[in-house]
Amino acid sequence: MTPPPPPTRARKRNPELFLNRELSLIEFQGRVLEEAQDVSNPLLERLKFATIVASNLDEFFMVRVARLQHRVLEGDTAPDADGMTPGQQLAAISVRVHAMADALYATVLTQIFPALAERGLTMILPKDASADQSAEMSRLFTEQYLPALTPLAIDASRPFPMLAGLSLNLALLLAPAEEGGGPRLAVVQVPARVPRFVRLASDAGNVYVRIEEVIRTELGALFPGQTLLGSTVFRVTRDSEIELDDEGGRDYLATVEDELRNRRRSRVVRLEVEAGLAPELLDILVQSLEIAREDVYAVPSPLDLRPLLALVDLPSLEDLRDKPLRPLPNADLASGENVFDVVDERDILLHHPYDSFDPVVALAVQAADDPDVLAIKQTLYRTSGESPVVRALARAAERGKQVTVLVELLARFDEESNIRWAHSLEEAGAHVLYGVRDYKTHAKVLLIVRRTSRGIRRYVHLSTGNYNDRTARLYTDFGLMTSSPAVGEDVSAFFNALTGYSDPPRMKKLVMAPTRLRERVIDLIRREQRRAESGQPAEIRAKMNSLVDEDVIRALYEASGAGVRIRLNVRGICCLRPGLRGVSEQIEVVSIVDRFLEHSRIFHFKNGGDEEVYLSSADLMPRNLDRRIELLFPVEAPECARRVLACLDAMFADNVKARVLSQDGGYKRKRPARGEEPLRAQIHLYREAERELGRVRAVKGVVLEPIEKREA
Amino acid sequence: MSEALENPAGPESSAPASSGAGRILAVIDMGASAIRLTVAEAGADGTLRIMEEASRGVLLGKDTFTDGRIKAPTMQATVRVLKGFRRIMEGYGVVRCRAAATSAVREASNRDSFLDRVRLRTGIEVEVIDGPEENRLTYLAVREVLGEHEMLRRGNTLLVEVGGGSADISFLRAGEPVFSGTYALGSIRMRQALASWRGTHDRRVLLLRRHIHNVVEDIKREMPLREATHFIALGGDVRFAASRLGGSEDADARLRFLKEPEFITLCDQLAGETVDDLVERFRLPLADAETLVPALLAYNELLLATSAEQVTIPEASLRAGMILDLAVGEDARRREDFSRQVLASARAIGEKYRYDASHAENVARMAVRLFDELKTEHGLADRDRLLLEVASLLHDVGLYINRRAHHKHSHYILSVSDIFGLSRDDMDVVANVARYHRRAMPQKSHLPYMALDRDTRVKVGKLAAMLRIANALDADHLHKVRDLTLVRDEDEWTLEVDGAGDMTMERLATLARSDLLTEVFGQKVSFREAARP
Repeated sequence: MTPPPPPTRARKRNPELFLNRELSLIEFQGRVLEEAQDVSNPLLERLKFATIVASNLDEFFMVRVARLQHRVLEGDTAPDADGMTPGQQLAAISVRVHAMADALYATVLTQIFPALAERGLTMILPKDASADQSAEMSRLFTEQYLPALTPLAIDASRPFPMLAGLSLNLALLLAPAEEGGGPRLAVVQVPARVPRFVRLASDAGNVYVRIEEVIRTELGALFPGQTLLGSTVFRVTRDSEIELDDEGGRDYLATVEDELRNRRRSRVVRLEVEAGLAPELLDILVQSLEIAREDVYAVPSPLDLRPLLALVDLPSLEDLRDKPLRPLPNADLASGENVFDVVDERDILLHHPYDSFDPVVALAVQAADDPDVLAIKQTLYRTSGESPVVRALARAAERGKQVTVLVELLARFDEESNIRWAHSLEEAGAHVLYGVRDYKTHAKVLLIVRRTSRGIRRYVHLSTGNYNDRTARLYTDFGLMTSSPAVGEDVSAFFNALTGYSDPPRMKKLVMAPTRLRERVIDLIRREQRRAESGQPAEIRAKMNSLVDEDVIRALYEASGAGVRIRLNVRGICCLRPGLRGVSEQIEVVSIVDRFLEHSRIFHFKNGGDEEVYLSSADLMPRNLDRRIELLFPVEAPECARRVLACLDAMFADNVKARVLSQDGGYKRKRPARGEEPLRAQIHLYREAERELGRVRAVKGVVLEPIEKREA
Repeated sequence: MSEALENPAGPESSAPASSGAGRILAVIDMGASAIRLTVAEAGADGTLRIMEEASRGVLLGKDTFTDGRIKAPTMQATVRVLKGFRRIMEGYGVVRCRAAATSAVREASNRDSFLDRVRLRTGIEVEVIDGPEENRLTYLAVREVLGEHEMLRRGNTLLVEVGGGSADISFLRAGEPVFSGTYALGSIRMRQALASWRGTHDRRVLLLRRHIHNVVEDIKREMPLREATHFIALGGDVRFAASRLGGSEDADARLRFLKEPEFITLCDQLAGETVDDLVERFRLPLADAETLVPALLAYNELLLATSAEQVTIPEASLRAGMILDLAVGEDARRREDFSRQVLASARAIGEKYRYDASHAENVARMAVRLFDELKTEHGLADRDRLLLEVASLLHDVGLYINRRAHHKHSHYILSVSDIFGLSRDDMDVVANVARYHRRAMPQKSHLPYMALDRDTRVKVGKLAAMLRIANALDADHLHKVRDLTLVRDEDEWTLEVDGAGDMTMERLATLARSDLLTEVFGQKVSFREAARP
């Protein structure tokens, strides 16, 4: 990409001001791939990053590429904000992703696998197996795989089968059945319900063989009397017609009619085959699947790298993984103290995964067991029934408390298991709402109404991340516990709106999407701009996963033009183009990709010295601001705000895992400047949290608590 | 979901831990365009804390003011909203709830079946309140917000709320309401009239302004609008104006002040916009956009009729007044305040009809003395004492029309007058009591009397019996009687009167006018002058 000529002012409809959303997303995959390539990362962590890239690319095709192809098929040639038509985007994506697929395989096959082999972990082909191992494979084939296999010969009377998207298959080229006929195609689906990698008995460490290779060696048994001309493992990716978010939630495209939906869903958007397959075989596959040549990806074996994730957790290779950073207890809440008493005194800020998620669970559990608690209301997005929070809610409902839960299930038409725990909450007496029509509830909030000697009090937990104790160990998120009456009132009103008991309210402290969030963020940006225009030092710092919304980006350009210093930490997609003269010179964009998934959203406004700090569940993307229910909330307690700001400081000081976005949409790794210490934000924040915990404990001193009564 | 709300609804309501905490109260206001809920906690020390407010748009007014009745879908929407509100209340363990409906329900032809349906489906008993009660409750809220503000201590204030069905207006003298009434300036009604007129937007707005002007001219005949130096406005439409203009605020942001010229300029500007423009420009819900211009033009015209230089917009509402009313309940000081306000308003009516104030005061004093003396016999409530006092003050207002049959003129005048704090039912009692201060006793042929329900007829009889005697005791308007005592003998009551001068007139009058007392209480009454020291 070449930088466009510098325009002088931001005005409506100037595509050169925006980066392409899809290409920016690919750039993010590129940064994850860098982590797989980074020799300073432990080997199995590198393998994990490689599987994440593979998985993300699958998703990218199912969702984004599918959507673009669909637009092309519909004859849509309208350019997006960055000026590229769907066709142009597809062409650019194809070039970029082909290169990325090559790099990914090169990394796995030439760097990671050889290094793993040195540690005794090898992936062999059946032909390299020992006699014992071969016998074991034959036995596996006849006993376990063969019964599940359905070889399908394809001809005029038997059309190409409807293969499941992302499933692994073998395509075979069979010699012509009769003189003068052409070669024939046959397909064998690789069983999906057995482990992809089979561990073989060996006295030389961990030796694995891939199931598709075991099947390939036995193909003769499936097509007796036929001559095999060639074979390839292949995989199709289909239009999934859904959109996925960072948290694995899905957005269905509404308004698509059933018939159209089926047609869309069956469309193949990508074909992956093994490099070096017979050209006639490829021709037949391309023809049968009705796919364009540029959507074919010929890659080295093995196809589908995602199952390699199973190897990452091998217990024997502890030293090839990151040293665990155990989430730290909260100093104020550590020794089983009553959460309500503490939150009565002061706001509590939790920064996961540095801080343990336990206080949040404790809040829910204590709420369930406290006789003075009257009501509990909560949003649950992507939570499992195993969650201790869900169990606490059920218990609270059984005890006659008013429990209201808004559940966003994984998918609209969910399988039994996902719906079961929600039903069990209902049976316990909770009021369960399965979402809000036309919107997805993405806000994360817990409200507890409790009687105290000073009257009714409301306790609120607001967060940027889900009530999911598992992801709380992997995603960086902020949570705030407060008993602020104004916040409590807003949250009550928020729930009344969600449950349909009230029209969307005017709120005092909180800001809600889809009603006001975009507007408020833009207002705050403009306020900073006015500060700058009146000669005050003005600065905005923000952290988020994605920045796509055109209105917000234009507001940022105008603020930058007025002299506001803007520093953005955008982990994933960023459509803002920094460094344009007169437009975005004052804007710096940094992305951090490290061991934890950066997930918190922070907004910091200098506001002429009267600084304001906000947290939010929302990214600045149209889908968050228009089609979701999200919350933006202020962090007002000074000590909490300080900690959020310290996090931002670290995010911008990082010179190890940070990358700087340049004008052309590419990213450059930050390196410590001469004389500068290397600083890795995630490790730094953990060490800081550890130090703070030690300090608080030292101040509090050692308290010996005699046990008065012998506990039963 | 159908046990009555008076029961504690919260879980574990017997839990003792909250002994120091306050009571949780809730009020529901079913207005013309929305149903609203306020949940508040009343502390032991009398403080009130709003816990939660919810509001859901339900266009009751549109139904009633268009078709005269509430339609089925609106009824269903109402039930849905109230069920949700009930759940909110249950979340707090609300112990007392008062639900009130105003004109949109009051004037619906199917209001009884509507209310029955609501009660059966939601367990919420909705009370229909009338304009004067609405005025009283709103005034409570305004008073609470204004506190010791100087406009409640001196000068005259016009308090206006333009609702969907009508406008409620009170005229306050040094903070005490002296006139109040309900007028045909309802914003939904005006919008409907506006929509039915032909012509350009500007032309129709002109007609609307003329209509408002005419109504305000009528109001001027009842209230000295020009004497008002303060103008307090309530309601969503005027709050919208405040949000556009900003204006200035008092210290705790519960009062907002808008300068008259700015307010009028804004009204003129908005009047030029169509409803679609308003929705588009201000992202207003359609229902709000429809009422905005009619309501603001009504405020505008009323403001111009006063001498006020600014519009005061307090953070007060009918619901806030209901909560206060519920919280203070039997508080003696508040009740005294209330009586004073009612009587001040009654005296203002008396002045309007040029009553003989000293005679009126004298009769009222005797009447309540008699009421207190007969306490064990009549079994009436404190509020009835107040009604007797009002009827006694105003029994002669009919003289304004003609001496002949003036008790009938009094009845007519009082039955159409508004006295602050008294409902229409109250006024019917007052008017009938005044009517029977002389001449005929209540009879089956008297239609206004027979229109009352049985209990009320009995009450009117008792009160009128007392008023007749009190009036007789000042027969020649010379205020000779200072005090009275009722001496109860075996089969006769004796009225022992302490006074000065010749009591012949009073004696004769009393004996003649004790007819009703004898009939009502079954006792003969004799007259005796107290021994003079």
